[in-house]
Amino acid sequence: MKSVRDHLMFLLPLLAILLGVEFFLVFNRVTQSSEEKLRESYSILVVSKKAMSLKDFRRIDPHIAEAAPIPKARIAKEIARGMKNTPDREILAALPHFYNLHLDRYLSRKDVEKIRQKLLAAKGIKKVETFGENHRAKYNLFLFLKIIFWSFVGLMGLVSIFLVVKQMEVWQMAHRERMQIMEIFGAPMLLRSGVLFRMGIVDALLATVITAGIFALLRYYYAPISGIEILVDRQALLFELKDIAILGGIALFIVISAVLTVAVKSRGPRE
Amino acid sequence: MANVITASKLTLAYDGGRKEIIKHASFSVRKGEFVFITGPSGSGKSTLLKSFYGALRPKEGKLTVGGLDMSRIGQSKLLELRTHLGIVFQDYKLINEWTVEKNVVLPLIIAGYSTDIQQTQAKKLLRHVKLTEQADRYPLELSGGEQQRVGVARALSKNPFLILADEPTGNLDEYSSNVIWDLMENACDQLGSTVVVVTHRIPTIFNIPYRHFIIENKGIYEVR
Repeated sequence: MKSVRDHLMFLLPLLAILLGVEFFLVFNRVTQSSEEKLRESYSILVVSKKAMSLKDFRRIDPHIAEAAPIPKARIAKEIARGMKNTPDREILAALPHFYNLHLDRYLSRKDVEKIRQKLLAAKGIKKVETFGENHRAKYNLFLFLKIIFWSFVGLMGLVSIFLVVKQMEVWQMAHRERMQIMEIFGAPMLLRSGVLFRMGIVDALLATVITAGIFALLRYYYAPISGIEILVDRQALLFELKDIAILGGIALFIVISAVLTVAVKSRGPRE
Repeated sequence: MANVITASKLTLAYDGGRKEIIKHASFSVRKGEFVFITGPSGSGKSTLLKSFYGALRPKEGKLTVGGLDMSRIGQSKLLELRTHLGIVFQDYKLINEWTVEKNVVLPLIIAGYSTDIQQTQAKKLLRHVKLTEQADRYPLELSGGEQQRVGVARALSKNPFLILADEPTGNLDEYSSNVIWDLMENACDQLGSTVVVVTHRIPTIFNIPYRHFIIENKGIYEVR
């Protein structure tokens, strides 16, 4: 019973840290994916007197990743519909060039404005439409979610680290005498802390398996029926195999640091 | 005969060297000797013993134990030296979560001996200290005298070249004390171990004139 309690006292905060880490990984993947979608759906409309290539646009700002010309014929047809006796050909000749610009990533409103100013300053460009309001609303919501989530994960991490430190103090109280006696008889540090290492490594493995298991279940059983578009489309966002290595590595790092701290603090007095 | 312990102008101190306990003491203990070090409470007997197993480094002078300079000894050498020592404490220093048998073979566990050897040696030692029946019990289930016998058995488990005993009978009645003294004397006679005992007074059981040092006014003097 005591042994189970000893394990739980370390396992639970470790689990909380790993859940926080995995949430962070998932959130990062989801935000990256959303960012990508936002980036893909967002474009800047440019009207230019002269024909321009992607190279020309990239010279103005390197964030411009794509420049798709909007076919003039379609625009000319629209205009011609409202005008009598004016052939399409003449309208076509009088029309400037239209471009849809896509950026390499989802930039802030301020950065988009900078690009707009650079474009307007370029020779030949008559008009730039950045659809600022629409962009700002999406970007602010996105930023808000990111800040809320990071704060939550940070707080969870702090509380968990505090609990791990408390558990280390309990360990130190429980094992200091034994470790000091072993040291008097010449036991090296690894042998003295062997019990703690074994206990910690078991807890680290358990915490890794439980955390990975929860997210694997979410990926394979929850995501397909969740109805959340991004999760249905990209279930791998919830769990990837490499997460096991990341979680295991972090758990082992915490365990080894905790046990070494206890072992060093439990050393016999030195004068 | 070679010296197991040699102290030359040895000064021991606490509080980062400010509080001197032993000052400029010179003495030696030869191989296979049984030596008493006595002195009043607080005179520095336990401090001196601590310096023999490296829990306290000399402030000045030179101290060698088993040929190793205790001022310069590194951590790994020190741990190795300790595996060849047998140490007995007044408060027994047994691991209460371990059985008597496991406590007895602690030095063998540290030295990496196989479980078979550990079990054989534990049986032999527990028979020697008359605790065979208590092998599977825990220290706190034993009397003080029995716990100290476990402590002595542990000290003997690896045939140490040097046994250090700090007030080994301080908490025991006369009968239990005599049993412990017998065990220590046997270790010296039969195993050839050097035995250094610090105690506030020499027990009456000892009629043989063992060498005897006394600690007085921070100095160590041989009583003749």
